[in-house]
Order: sequence, then C-alpha cells, then structure tokens
Amino acid sequence: MTLRDRLGQANWQLILAAPVAAGILHICATLAAPYITADSAYARLAPALPVNKVQVLAEVAPGSEPLPFLSPDSRYALCRFDTSAGPVNVTMTLPPDPGWMLAVMSPQGDNIYASASTPGRITPVTLALVPSEDHFLGVTPEARGIARDTEPPVALAAKHGIVVVRAPDRGLSYRRDTEASLNSLRCSATHF
Amino acid sequence: MLSHSALTPVHVVLHKVQKRIAIVFAILGDWAAFIGAVMILGLGTSWYMIDVGTPLTTVRQGPWLGWVSGGRADADPYTRAHFTRLGTLQLSAENVLTYVAYTDSDGHRLHSSCDYSVEGREPGTNWWSITVFNDRGELIANPAQRYDFTAQTIALRPDGSFTVALARDARPGNWLPTGGAGRLALTLTTIDATAPLLTKTGAVPRPLPAIRRIQCR
Repeated sequence: MTLRDRLGQANWQLILAAPVAAGILHICATLAAPYITADSAYARLAPALPVNKVQVLAEVAPGSEPLPFLSPDSRYALCRFDTSAGPVNVTMTLPPDPGWMLAVMSPQGDNIYASASTPGRITPVTLALVPSEDHFLGVTPEARGIARDTEPPVALAAKHGIVVVRAPDRGLSYRRDTEASLNSLRCSATHF
Repeated sequence: MLSHSALTPVHVVLHKVQKRIAIVFAILGDWAAFIGAVMILGLGTSWYMIDVGTPLTTVRQGPWLGWVSGGRADADPYTRAHFTRLGTLQLSAENVLTYVAYTDSDGHRLHSSCDYSVEGREPGTNWWSITVFNDRGELIANPAQRYDFTAQTIALRPDGSFTVALARDARPGNWLPTGGAGRLALTLTTIDATAPLLTKTGAVPRPLPAIRRIQCR
C-alpha cells in the first residue's frame, strides 16, 4: 500500500478533530485544576483558623510548616474571614520598615487586595470586606453630619478568604516588636 | 479457497460477520488513536504549562524561575493552577516575587551530597531573602537552626556582594546547612513597594545570584 493509499484511507474527520478536542480538554483541565486540588493553601490553612479572628502563626520551624515553601524569613498574622453574616472590617497599620505586607487572599489563591509597607512612613490599611459590592456598609459619618477624621474603608467584595499580614523576621532583638505589630491587626464582623 | 458453488448460507453469514468485525475494529482503532492523541495533547500540554511553565507565564534567569503573575487577581489560569497545586501562600507578584531554583547554574540537580556557593549582589529591592528547602518545600532541620538569610541578617561585602555556602558541614560566613535533605530547592524572595519587580516585558531587573557547585561526595 502506497502512502497515497494510506492517506486516502485515513479518517480525516478524526485527524482534524483531534487538535480541536485536545484544545478543549487543555482549557477544561487548566481551568478545573485550581478547583479539584485538595492541597491549596486555603484548604490547608482554613480548618485551623477561627472565623473572623486574628491568629498569629508560630515561627516556622522544621516539622511544623503549615504550608510548603513557607520561609522562616517572615512571621504571619492570618484572619480567615466569612462575610455571609455581614461585612468584616480589617484595620492594620503597616510599620515604616521594608518587607511588611497585607494581602487579602481568595480561596483560589488570588490576592484581591495587596499593600506593602513603605520605608520611612507608616501605611494605614482600612478595608471593608463585603459579600457583594452593593452591600450596605452602614450610615457614613458624613450622612450623620459628622466630619470624617479617617480615610473611608476600601470596600472589597469577597465571601470567603484569608487576610494575610507578612512581617519580615528581623531576628531575636525585634521579635517582641514584630509580634506586637502583628497583633495590632483587627479583623471583626460588623453587626447592624 | 471455496468455489462460488461451494458457498453455503453459513459461509456467507460468517463472511459478513467477519467483514463487520473488521469495520468495527477499524473504527475502534481510529477512535482509540483519536482519544489517545486528545488525552496526550490536551492533558500533557496542560500539565507542562501548569507545572513547568513557559516564557508566557514565567521569567527565567540561569537556574532561577519566577512566575510573573503569581497571586495577582488578574493571574493567568496556568499561574493560578500552578500555585493552587503547589499549595504555597502566594502573595501578589506586583510586590513579592519568589524565584525558585532546583538546579545549579550548570543545570545539575541541587543535592545535599554536594556543596554549593551562591554568589550574587543585593537584588536592589526593599527587602529580600534566600531560603533552602528540600524539594518537597520542607525546611531542613539542623542544630544551628539556620534556614535562611535575609537583607537584614546576611553578611555583605563592602561592595554589596555576598556569598552563601550550602553545605553539610559548617562553613565560615553565610552558611546554610543542607545535611541529609536529598534533593534541594532554593528560593529567593524579593519585596519592593515602590517599583514593579518586573518590567512589562517580563525582564528581570537585576542579575540573580549564580549557584556554583564546589564539590560532591
């Protein structure tokens, strides 16, 4: 049988359909991957974290790493939030040292908000985590005739997730100072 | 061969069944090849782009590999799947960029049976750190309780350069113990609040440290 005969007998419909079907499978597998893994950072951390409360993680040490590739170069304060019962307010003042960071992480691992410290000046962060962007956040001070003396909170729509504050570990001498700053993270549900 | 007159109805039926089975096998063979090709192409390319990465999603310099949109809300699906599968706490790559190296600068797998010298300069960011793990991302237990160096703890030379020794036994200067870990992974984390860590074209802002193998046992 010559090559021409073989080509003539080939099922060209299937041959042409194969890359199309492979492309569809590629897209489906890629998009589904974050949802079918049981080992995401959120899935590992969430069961051990109280809801709408801050928890400062212990120093990362061999054998007690909560996540892979979690370096002991930093200390972490975490707050697993759930906005289904109402908005969650988050406040934190990042110290004027390099390396501090506050991020709001979705269960899929996306940072829906991130702010890093700026050397030489403090960085206040005030967030209102709400289930949807049109959620009622209460009567504003301006509406009550009171002059606002603070920045209005940044409203972020998220039902679940984790607020992460990362602090660089500057060594034993600064440890107490670092822990005090981490403990200044506030994360609490608002009830109207 | 049977003559035409010798063909009985049974032979005719058998012949028809044989022909139909051949057709079914031909169709099944085509479909098996189709399904095999689709699975290999579809799942294989997806796995490669999620696990290994391509220039579309990563930036590579020597042995260092960084995912340029890790943790970002607008991350591409490959990056999102990569970090979800890896299970790491990924902060936005706009401010925090972590490079991982599994090999030395010559492409040999990092292993605790070898000694290495990591030589470079400060990355020029607000803050940075270098940490050694085993290849599963676990810290390597050691009596010195030394797992990383940061911008604040590393001993720099007057010109801003540094050398970190990865070795089983103690070394003078910046030493990270690796004894008994097997395969190693090295991470370099850089944080910068004032400037994007990567340009829009994905170029690495400064040369990253070289990893030289000194000796193996």
